[in-house]
Amino acid sequence: MSDPAIVLGVIGADCHSVGNKIMDVFFSGEGFRVVNLGVMVSQLEFVDAAIETDAAAILVSSLYGHGEIDCQGLRDLCIEKGLDRIILYAGGNLVVGKTPGAEVEEKFRAMGFDRVFRPDVDLKEAAALLRSDIEARRAEAS
Amino acid sequence: MKKVVSIDIGSTWTKGALFALDGPAGPAVLAKRDTPTTQDGLGRGFLAVLTSLLGLPPETRLGDLPRDIPVYFSSSAKGGLAIAAVGLVPDLTLQLAKLTAMSAGGKVVRSFSFSLTEDDIAVLESAPPDMILLSGGTDGGNTAYLFENAARLAASKLQVPVIFAGNRAAASRVARILEKKDVVVTENIMPEIGQMNPEPARDKIRGLFLDRIVAGRGLGEIVEVLGSRPKPTPLGVFELVAAIPRVQPDWDDLCVIDMGGATTDVYSNTESYLETDTVVLKGLREPRNKRTVEGDLGLRVSARTLWDAGREIILEGLDKAGLPAEAMEGFIAAIAADAGLLPTGEPQKTLDRILAEACVFLAVSRHTGGWREAFTPQGRVFVQTGKDLRRVKAVVGSGGYLSRSADAAVMRGALNRLARPAEERKLAPERPAFYADAAGLFPLAGNLAEDYPEEATALALASLKPLE
Ligand code: B12
Repeated sequence: MSDPAIVLGVIGADCHSVGNKIMDVFFSGEGFRVVNLGVMVSQLEFVDAAIETDAAAILVSSLYGHGEIDCQGLRDLCIEKGLDRIILYAGGNLVVGKTPGAEVEEKFRAMGFDRVFRPDVDLKEAAALLRSDIEARRAEAS
Repeated sequence: MKKVVSIDIGSTWTKGALFALDGPAGPAVLAKRDTPTTQDGLGRGFLAVLTSLLGLPPETRLGDLPRDIPVYFSSSAKGGLAIAAVGLVPDLTLQLAKLTAMSAGGKVVRSFSFSLTEDDIAVLESAPPDMILLSGGTDGGNTAYLFENAARLAASKLQVPVIFAGNRAAASRVARILEKKDVVVTENIMPEIGQMNPEPARDKIRGLFLDRIVAGRGLGEIVEVLGSRPKPTPLGVFELVAAIPRVQPDWDDLCVIDMGGATTDVYSNTESYLETDTVVLKGLREPRNKRTVEGDLGLRVSARTLWDAGREIILEGLDKAGLPAEAMEGFIAAIAADAGLLPTGEPQKTLDRILAEACVFLAVSRHTGGWREAFTPQGRVFVQTGKDLRRVKAVVGSGGYLSRSADAAVMRGALNRLARPAEERKLAPERPAFYADAAGLFPLAGNLAEDYPEEATALALASLKPLE
């Protein structure tokens, strides 16, 4: 099986680019085919890129505090566009201020995200989870 | 003296010129001829122009022509090169497939994204294009839609060539699915998201144009005997617009508008996006050299569709000129009865000018990208889609009407209208100088641009008349 493609980007009107660049380098090094859309990425751009590249997962970043609004409806859009089985992750500073992590996670899961990560996440762990999630989806599919 | 002939077989006129490439004062025009295009056999009009340019009796046979003067030629007769573009996502591979087809000199007659439906196939079967450009997926990306669409095409009655320029991981299977059809496989036009690779597909389109299409239009014998390979007319102009700034760096940031009776072409050679902190590009980064062609915009055959597309602008023009809408209706009806109509007096001249300005406006507007404001917590930024033409320094009007321009009013008026504030700010040329291709040499010089870029540039620039 070829290396899985993953789509990265910072959603909405968010211009924080440093973490995105680090993630690009890191996940490429881990053997993923990274499709990095950079900053200020709309939901439709994430979905379009995932369709063309046949991506296994979309990793959405949001740092500036408006992630909740920006991410609403992304899962629905994926389903609408035929990406029924794609894995959705979200990470960064997902909400404004100091909302407890568990609450944030619950909100994003309710929106259809498979996993939610805090800014201090160990990317190695995230990559391991991603690999096993992708394998699980592939096993389900076949 | 090194002489060459260049001939362009257009939809109504076949035009030619005999050029001296190394005249004492640089490349020069030695003779020019034209004759109505012979629709029932394009070769006859071609030979008439060629023999006349060479000073030979009109009955001279192909085989008896002198061989020491190379003959370059192009054709846009019989509606030009009609291409159906198939892509996956509308803003990605489909958009690029359309740009590729247009930059190869083709006209996109149909375009489809995602799955081809039975209805789509029926539409194609009822009016088959000259060829189909099938794309979709980045390399290693989606294959499912490609297999599905290839199977639909394979099961159809279509006999036209299919160029496959999609995901390379799908190429061999697509070729097998389409093995009973005329299929040509080439490199992916979008190997990665946002990365463009139109040249290999462009070459294949040109090759097919030569092998399968030119022969079917009564030009096969000419190609065989003269050994010269024709281009679709717009490809020659595209190559010329690409060559001019390479030869004359002062002519960088160039735009050419070729407004004809049936279609209007816009060519630009300028950097499409300048990265800054406050401008973010979305979608494709468009190529420096770009051509778009509008099949619904033209002053004669397409006057009716221009009137439909540009009604608001045209009505405004009529209002300013104190003319009623019925005057335009009448003029359009007169054009429908006689596609060769030349306005004789008022109000026809004014009506023609109003149509021309709307035509330039719409064609340039569709070619040009824009900025939309977005407010981020940090302040205002602009989101750019499409191509930025603001730095264009020279705008050249070509084709019958614009070549004959006495002043820049039509082109300037159209650009001023594009500059009006709107929700999307159009990135049209801001302070260009205007020129007319007064000698009508762009298509003829274009035929030489690939082999003689310097001479073609000199000839084209000498043809220009500055407009106030
Ligand atoms: C540098 C910076 C800026 C720079 C950005 C420059 C640039 N080109 O990137 C500038 C000055 C432009 C800026 C502007 C703003 N900023 Co700022 N900025 C920061 C700062 C100091 C560092 C961000 C950074 O680069 N971190 C380093 C990288 C490596 O970490 P990271 O971005 O978090 O990404 C990592 C992880 O989060 C994780 N990750 C991210 N996404 C994902 C996704 C998945 C799936 C996974 C697994 C992991 C993951 O992996 C990444 C790599 O390790 C942070 C504070 C901080 N210390 O985090 C504030 C901060 C992010 N900014 C903040 C704010 C509010 C703003 C502004 C709104 C302020 C303003 N009014 O000007 C604007 C917003 C502009 C905009 N439109 O986006 C707030 C956000 C508050 C919130 N969310 O509640 C922060 C947290 C500061 C604060 N404590 O208030 N900012």
